[in-house]
Amino acid sequence: MPTKKTTALVMASTLVGVLAAGCGSATAPKASGPVTITFMEAMSSGTLKPATQALVSQFEKSHKNIKIELQVEPSYSVLETKIEASVTADQAPTIAQAYEDWAAGYANSGAIVPLNSYVDGSNGVTAQQKSQIWPGVWKDQILPDGKIWMWPFNKSDFVMYYNQTWLNKENLPVPTTWSQFATDAQAVTSSSANTWGVSIDPGSTSGASNGTYLYVSLIRAYGGHLMKNGKPNFDSIPAQKALSYIVHMYQNGSMKFGTSYPGQTALGAQHGLFDLSTIASYYYNEKAIGGKFTMGVAPFPKGPAGEGNVMQGTNLVMFSGASTAQKNAAWTFMKWLSEPAQTAYWATKTGYLPVTKAALPLMTSYYNSHPYQKIAAESLTYARPTPPVAGMAQAVGALANAIQAATIGHQSVATALATAESKATSDVNSAQ
Amino acid sequence: MFATERRRRSAYLYLTPAALIFLVFTLGPAFFVLYISLFNWNFLNSAQSTFVGFHNYTNLLASSTFWHSLGISLYFVIGTVPVGLFLALVIAMALMNQFAGRGFVRLAVFSPYVTPVVATSIVWIWIFNPQFGLLNGLLHMAHLPELGWLESQRWAMPGVILYTLWHSLGFDVIIFMAGLSAISADLREAARIDGANRWQEFWSVTWPLLTPTTLFVLIITTIGSLQAFTQFFTMTSGGPLSATTTTSYLLYQLAFLFYRTGPAAALAVLLFILIAGLTALQMLLSQRRTHYQ
Repeated sequence: MPTKKTTALVMASTLVGVLAAGCGSATAPKASGPVTITFMEAMSSGTLKPATQALVSQFEKSHKNIKIELQVEPSYSVLETKIEASVTADQAPTIAQAYEDWAAGYANSGAIVPLNSYVDGSNGVTAQQKSQIWPGVWKDQILPDGKIWMWPFNKSDFVMYYNQTWLNKENLPVPTTWSQFATDAQAVTSSSANTWGVSIDPGSTSGASNGTYLYVSLIRAYGGHLMKNGKPNFDSIPAQKALSYIVHMYQNGSMKFGTSYPGQTALGAQHGLFDLSTIASYYYNEKAIGGKFTMGVAPFPKGPAGEGNVMQGTNLVMFSGASTAQKNAAWTFMKWLSEPAQTAYWATKTGYLPVTKAALPLMTSYYNSHPYQKIAAESLTYARPTPPVAGMAQAVGALANAIQAATIGHQSVATALATAESKATSDVNSAQ
Repeated sequence: MFATERRRRSAYLYLTPAALIFLVFTLGPAFFVLYISLFNWNFLNSAQSTFVGFHNYTNLLASSTFWHSLGISLYFVIGTVPVGLFLALVIAMALMNQFAGRGFVRLAVFSPYVTPVVATSIVWIWIFNPQFGLLNGLLHMAHLPELGWLESQRWAMPGVILYTLWHSLGFDVIIFMAGLSAISADLREAARIDGANRWQEFWSVTWPLLTPTTLFVLIITTIGSLQAFTQFFTMTSGGPLSATTTTSYLLYQLAFLFYRTGPAAALAVLLFILIAGLTALQMLLSQRRTHYQ
């Protein structure tokens, strides 16, 4: 027969049990023995997983006092959610992959630490080593406050894939300028044959896609920049010219819109002449083509102001909740990963690009058999990421919306971009 | 007296585990959403959160994005609920008749409902593909103009509605069939003896006695439509040009894409009030016209 005391005891123990079930326990660093660091990452598919594991294993062999625990997530979106949940729950990993705007948000909230003291410290990076890191990759590590908050890891950029067989048949040149690209695309466009130049995914307010990054590359090729004086600069003359270029191609039928890698699908089905995508798509494009024709790869064409390209991929960040020993061990691992031998191994196994030029001599034979990889690596000379500002993902979504507004929505280019700039400004301000 | 008190205590004791789970995992988070809707909430560092009162609510109510999403939700509800109710009733009545292969047809109608929305909506993305899709292929064969479907500001929502009807109709059909089975055959027989034709029998006997079932389906499908998210997530991402950004999808964008936790929590509260209000209104209006046997 339950008394008041037993009732209270059962209720209390149930409550404790329920609450305990929802909570994990923090991994306290051990007093002695190897230092264990956790690395939350999304390198889970294809060759990425074994390559990451091999590097970790190699590192642990040469650094007996450091153990690395990989926390593998299935995708970047899951990774982002898991990082944020773990930070909220005071269970952050020691290091993780992060995009620039994620890092900006983490830095604002004090969730990660700046790396300047490590980079410039006794176990740091020499001036010569710094100079070997691609300029765009180096700048990508620095947030607007001037501090180094990230360290480079997996990098890629955009290239132009094309149907070499079709171009030869039509006696068309491989375009080296965006103007020539539009001419080639128009030349193969036929409603009766159901063929066109290129398909892109313009993205949406939910976020950027390859088509959005094509537009950003075009803005840069026309001499524009996404930010000016710390504010979104979407309504500039170069941005208007770049959007007019897209509108023109959309209206004459040489560019079509779709979702889920439409450029790859159209190229593989021999309906589209080009696909504008990252170098990481090479393998998937080859699969889509299935040997039906020869696929060529070339750098993104140039615009009136020169080259423009958008750097893709993530960096590594170090979380503030880690102990000093874990932070030191994590920095040792981060620095080791970016060294020529390791970045060369990573690039040859995964198709990502080496973050330092010093890796190129180690990759000569690889580039001889994979010349397209060298094209992408050389594009890192001028490829730039989207600005590392909190709220930039949302702001770039506004830019994607402008592409749709000026094409599907029949708005004027000026109105579409003015709306996008106003929305982006509000987004960036809200995120600060 | 003491025995009653003991039984009462025992009842509370047995209810405690379930009540605590409900409190911790359902009621607690719901009140926490209400709490953070009053803050400019920093989920990475709650110490940086600042109390803003009803600012998130007033901002939302003053924003065109919120009202646009509400309009889009209403469009979706109108496209799925009345149309779905009508189609489900017609199909349910047809499936109550005896005919060869009835079991297979019932299975065919119900089976989409048990398929995962993510998987089937990806298949439908390909059916809707403007360049390579089945639907445009059929339109082309019929010499009709091809449509942009999910890539078109005008046709994206009808596309999602079409998919949603295909996916969810089976559930409504089963509920209506259960309702029809519960109606006594004697009443219909009496109507026929009194000289009622099939329409009069439906209108004067079947339909009034189906009103409790109809009310149930109406409320369930309205709530389901206002909360619909997965098909928008996989098929359109709210686009093109926000043509399919429903209030539920906007909530996802704010909370999980833009990490604006305070406004997202305020939107969740507003959506809850809207659904609760609509459900109460539906029940109030329908109560007078609901007939029970």
